[in-house]
Amino acid sequence: MDVVMPRLSDSMEEGTVLKWLKSVGDEVAVGDELVEIETDKANMVYEAPDPGTLVEIVAEEGATLAIGEVIARVGDAGEVPSSNGDGAGAASEDGGAAPGAAEGGGATPPAATTDGASPGRVKASPIARRIARDRGIDLAALAGSGPGGRVIKSDVERAVAAADAGGGTGGGPAVVSATPGPPPAAAPAAASAAPTPGASEKPETAKGTAEVVELSKLQQTVSRRMAESKATAPHFYLQAEIDMTSCVDGRERLKASAKAAPGRVSGPKVREAGGMPEEAAPVVPTYNDMVVKACALALREFPRANGAYRDGRIELYSRVNVGVAVAAQDALVVPTLFDADLKGLRQISAETRALAARVRSGEITPPELSGGTFTVSNLGMYGVSNFHAVINTPQAGILAVGELKQKPAVVDDEVVPRHLMGVTLACDHRILYGADGAQFLARVRALLEEPLGLAL
Amino acid sequence: MAQSKSSAATKKKASGSADGGSKAKPELPSKKESGELLETMMVIRRFEEEAGRQYQKAKAGGFLHLAIGEEATIVGTTSVMHEDDYLIGTYRTHGHAIARGTDPKRVMAELFGRVDGTSGGRGGSMHIFDLERRFMGGYGIVGGTLPLAAGLGLASDYRGEDTVTVCMFGDGATNTGNFGETMNLAALWKLPVVFLVENNLYGMGTSLERHSAVTNLSEKASCMGIPGERIDGMDVLAVRECVAEHVRLAREQREPTLVEAFTYRYRGHSAADPEIYREKQEVEEWQRKDPIESFAGRLVSDGAIDEEEIAAMRERAEQIVLEAVAFADASPEPDLDSLYDHLYVVGEQVPGWYAVDERSPDPHPGEEERRAGERAQELAERGAAYAGPGASRRREAGGDHPDPDARPEDVA
Amino acid sequence: MATLRMREALRDAMAEEMRGDESVFLMGEDVGVFQGAFKVSEGLLDEFGERRVRDTPISENTIVGMGVGAAMAGLRPIVEIMTVNFSLLAMDMIVNHAAAIPYMFGGQVRVPLVIRMPGGGGHQLGPTHSHSFEALFLQIPGLLVACPSTPADGKGLLKAAIRDDNPVIFIEHETLYGSRGEVPDGGDHYLDFGEAAIRREGGDVTIVGLLRMAETAQQAAQTLANEHGVEAEVIDPRTLRPLDLDTILESVAKTNHAVIVEEGWPHGGVGANLAALIQEQAFDALDAPVQRVTGADVPMPYSKRLEQAAMPHSEHIVSAALASLEGSV
Repeated sequence: MDVVMPRLSDSMEEGTVLKWLKSVGDEVAVGDELVEIETDKANMVYEAPDPGTLVEIVAEEGATLAIGEVIARVGDAGEVPSSNGDGAGAASEDGGAAPGAAEGGGATPPAATTDGASPGRVKASPIARRIARDRGIDLAALAGSGPGGRVIKSDVERAVAAADAGGGTGGGPAVVSATPGPPPAAAPAAASAAPTPGASEKPETAKGTAEVVELSKLQQTVSRRMAESKATAPHFYLQAEIDMTSCVDGRERLKASAKAAPGRVSGPKVREAGGMPEEAAPVVPTYNDMVVKACALALREFPRANGAYRDGRIELYSRVNVGVAVAAQDALVVPTLFDADLKGLRQISAETRALAARVRSGEITPPELSGGTFTVSNLGMYGVSNFHAVINTPQAGILAVGELKQKPAVVDDEVVPRHLMGVTLACDHRILYGADGAQFLARVRALLEEPLGLAL
Repeated sequence: MAQSKSSAATKKKASGSADGGSKAKPELPSKKESGELLETMMVIRRFEEEAGRQYQKAKAGGFLHLAIGEEATIVGTTSVMHEDDYLIGTYRTHGHAIARGTDPKRVMAELFGRVDGTSGGRGGSMHIFDLERRFMGGYGIVGGTLPLAAGLGLASDYRGEDTVTVCMFGDGATNTGNFGETMNLAALWKLPVVFLVENNLYGMGTSLERHSAVTNLSEKASCMGIPGERIDGMDVLAVRECVAEHVRLAREQREPTLVEAFTYRYRGHSAADPEIYREKQEVEEWQRKDPIESFAGRLVSDGAIDEEEIAAMRERAEQIVLEAVAFADASPEPDLDSLYDHLYVVGEQVPGWYAVDERSPDPHPGEEERRAGERAQELAERGAAYAGPGASRRREAGGDHPDPDARPEDVA
Repeated sequence: MATLRMREALRDAMAEEMRGDESVFLMGEDVGVFQGAFKVSEGLLDEFGERRVRDTPISENTIVGMGVGAAMAGLRPIVEIMTVNFSLLAMDMIVNHAAAIPYMFGGQVRVPLVIRMPGGGGHQLGPTHSHSFEALFLQIPGLLVACPSTPADGKGLLKAAIRDDNPVIFIEHETLYGSRGEVPDGGDHYLDFGEAAIRREGGDVTIVGLLRMAETAQQAAQTLANEHGVEAEVIDPRTLRPLDLDTILESVAKTNHAVIVEEGWPHGGVGANLAALIQEQAFDALDAPVQRVTGADVPMPYSKRLEQAAMPHSEHIVSAALASLEGSV
């Protein structure tokens, strides 16, 4: 079992091992003081997350490592320390993707069976096929976590583990289908074992057949944190309708001026050198980019909104780092735009696109997902007029953005068409009270209705 | 039409100057030596004629370049070389090998692509080679031999040996970059090399005056420090006398030179040449100065050899060539499992590397054991067009080679 | 162990072999009085004299051809070509002659010739002095191809190459000439061709890098470990012919992911070849397509900015490795 560099503060990206409080060979129980770690804020004692014998200290005292890197291994006494990557891979899965996981909304359930694009043929990597063949796993019953839904080795291994354990303890997004049809070519473990509460045997109920979907690590984190947030943070909601007409006009002008410049063709599959000094292609900011910028400017003026409620205290942050929720990897991740108040709209726009792309391609790294002080979540593109979002605790609030639509509005006693956009600010009442939240929201609205301020 | 006429005109001019360049008639060598010169030319002639026939019978493949008409240049040259001198030539060198002493049987077998060929069937007509007789090869790249010849000369020089390299090439090769590079280096480093242009007036179908600005090829290297001399390449004695002097210059004075021998091929550039670039009449004119007939005529008129002896020679040449054909025909085709033989030198002298047949992940098994060949055989037998599949058989642990012993049901 | 620069290690290799074998000599453009365009032959003329350290005219095809001829006659020439780009002028001698002669003459004659040449970009030498032609030579049966990345390998492989009875293309990297490394003492440091070096062990992804890219791949592996929790195994093939495919396949069998890095061009490159071999022979071990990181598909530009953009960097390798591992970590 790997012990990884823990994330001991929301803005922590790396930590330094100050002092090991256990030695190799010592027995450790969950909760035992294991190691003293210096974060960017404080020196913290980290308690053992797993029981066992401390078999190896990977990070010596004084070593500085990124969150998620292995610092020690705990296991059975006599276990040979292994230095291969299995542990490290798992570790980064634990420590890596989780920090940015946030409220649900865009997540879609994993595809249950084959890739819709190629009916009849399951997309799977060669080694995944081989293991599936050897172990009698039905590839069609697995959801792939590789690119384009490709079933990869780890997916099959999870399914094998699930089958070996009688189907009870498989982690990851393995989907074991109970749909009638050709039975798996060979599922000896499941077939011969006594009935277990495993996923592979679901009787037909009044609801029809049930498909049991195991959560990925990321999905588990999302569900845990969302439940915690709703259960512990007292949410209240402030709704507003923002007149975006000036933003629309401004954006149209930007679009017209950008049209002249040619776009870049996306790069070849082979990673030829040549893409390194990426030239700034003409970027037209989206409305969401404008919302992010407006929030960032307003956050600078309202420190409480840019703070966190933590352990009975309020923390107010000097940097304004706005998280932008992106639906990907069958979950929701929130990459961070650091110092968004200091960045121009173009830069915000370019960075957001790059981050979203990295999220979708799986290249996003833990540091890019941590350190947010506020979150913007936008479902307007799905035609949602307004919605309530769950706060990404310990942040003070989250702004939910709905659809931008032309609607009749009364201006100077006349009904005229205006571009209106519904937003809802969810606040944690422990830090952001009604009047504070309302003033913050009013400032965001003012910045968007007179968008000249965004350009400054 | 116009081209044919102009090339015929060039021929006259060129051959005229060659005749004009020859000096007083050389002395006849001893009767034995004279007989050998004549008989060797006869064997080459008959060999080439027979090679042409066998080619038409599809016994020999690829290209076939015959030297019929050029025998005097070949034999005159080799007759004055020491045994340990190097000779290196073109893709028209069946005769050169035979003149150096290579058994015509082995040359014919090479044309047939058989195991007993000089290169075991790997080289073919254009790539005859006989290390034992220091015939350092025929080559398919025009001009490619010039640097090699300079390298052979460098080796002699480096070791302080008195061996000489004779490098024979065609008129076309004088236009390659190698000609300039090599002449300069040979002169600069005083290499013991005799460069000999077998000027048969055509680079394939392009006549001399259409391919070379300087048509006096003997002068073509003078600016590089290599003096030259022209001789009548149809006169074996003239060739002999001239080349002997140039070989001596190379051997004793380390003076590389360029000899231009006027000669003529009666046949086309290759067996597939319809000869639209020259007039029939031009060929007939050269045939009147046939090197074999004219030398035989002189021997008879000088009373050195009589007609009977000449007839016996013809008969022996006939026998030699027929035996060569029979030998070649009887020689086996190369084993498919020899496909990779001689690609690399593998042995004790090599510090430990092994070749990898990239069609398999296994180390190349070496000289004895050729599993790659088994596969090639298998595919060939199944009619595969070539023996080079991108197969990964060894990783599949016997998947392609079921062990016959492991099939008990077949036993019953 | 002594710490030597690559150029010193190569010079020592030649000097030691020349001392031990009278048939070994060096020729090339400016190898003598000038002591080599990159000073690899420094001091050799003084020690061995003009007979064995020969300055040649600028006649690449003939120099190599003379090397072939001299080798056929039993000598062991080392021919230096000033940069790999100039070797194209000698391709006839390399491909049609050196590589073909032992085979086409049925094994009657050997061509124990070493042709040394530096390649690679990074010095603003533009499109005629900066390329990487490993792939060109790799393609030719009959040649051995070495591409050392460390001084120890440079010396051990060059000494082995000189003793080898086959024609060897010995590719050096201009940027590596000044790099230092530990080199075993004594004159008996020979490296076998066809043995790859595992520069770093790891279980997550196999990165194959040659020449300078062996070093860059190690940097990338460090980044992968530090920032992404990915343990990369870095393999330096050291020779491309023969190729130690076994070591690469064993690694891929362990990691299920492969990234191949080279400075050369993408089409028909070393990476293209290796990717084909890996998918042919380890298809069932793959968990993702083999990734390639190559130089840009352009003649090498002069501008430092453009030149750097045309060369692979650690960042490219990191992102290729992560792309290969998408979904796995």
